[in-house]
Amino acid sequence: MDYAISDHGDAAPLAVKILIAGGFGVGKTTLVGAVSEVAPLRTEEYLTHASVGVDDLKGVSGKSTTTVALDFGRITISSELVLYLFGTPGQERFWFMWNDLVNGAMGAVVLVDTRRLDVSFASIDFFESRGIPFVVGVNCFHGVRDRTPEEIRRALDLDPQVPLVLCDARDRAAGRDVLLALIDHLMAAQSRTAPHPVA
Amino acid sequence: MRHWTEGFDDDDADEPLVRPYTITGGRTAPERDDLTLITLVTAISPVSSETGHGLRRMQPEHRTILALCKRPLAVAEVASALNLPVSVTKILIGDLIESDQVRARPPLAFAQAGGFPGMTILEAVRDGLRNL
Repeated sequence: MDYAISDHGDAAPLAVKILIAGGFGVGKTTLVGAVSEVAPLRTEEYLTHASVGVDDLKGVSGKSTTTVALDFGRITISSELVLYLFGTPGQERFWFMWNDLVNGAMGAVVLVDTRRLDVSFASIDFFESRGIPFVVGVNCFHGVRDRTPEEIRRALDLDPQVPLVLCDARDRAAGRDVLLALIDHLMAAQSRTAPHPVA
Repeated sequence: MRHWTEGFDDDDADEPLVRPYTITGGRTAPERDDLTLITLVTAISPVSSETGHGLRRMQPEHRTILALCKRPLAVAEVASALNLPVSVTKILIGDLIESDQVRARPPLAFAQAGGFPGMTILEAVRDGLRNL
């Protein structure tokens, strides 16, 4: 597969994306806004999902449509490369089926709030099961660091290879460092799987 | 006599006056499935002729897309600017691709290919982030 940046005179740059996931209220949009060059944009999509109603007399599953909204931002890396950051919608059971959102992501940042670790479990499970590389960003609201990284790691049952970074999602430099941790993680994975990558 | 659409013809997309799939002529699925959230869309030429064959069935939203995409914009950005759902926006962009008015550049797709992004891309992203 050809991953070269340069192309055949195409005017448009290449686009890549990173997902910012985690449960409701962990600071996803805050992180997107902290590092994006534009104020977070909002877009929505209709997702159709199968539903089996208990009152369905015919016993067939119906389909219902849900509108799911997400916030995203943009970082122009160069004239040839643009990075998009997509904060996943809060309702996991919907965005997990949003293939267009998930497909083609370089990787993901799962944000966790130490006071409510459980709201991010589903995101971690999802990326693990889909084999999508991710790092965990521990959002330390108001400087609260009531648990050690080791305790958080244990509580999340995190694979030792998955990086865990403390951050403040409101801070541009801290947000950038979480993204850099993901890139380092991807580079390490790359050099493990492909000792002689073709640039 | 005043036509009922009078006064409706400004390009303000903030408040949709019609249900989204009316804009697409009732179509609910794009004819092409290769557009993604981060496919970059660029207008090929400025909107000049209103009499061109491909322009006849254009909705105001089509013209808005052409104006927006003078510089490359992702499908998600276009949808956000139009205040329309992504799937509706994809149908409209698909129309413009069909009539050769926009060019679409697909993103690198890592997850589908089951692979990792190459070092060239990773280094470029890392260097770009460091300059933030």
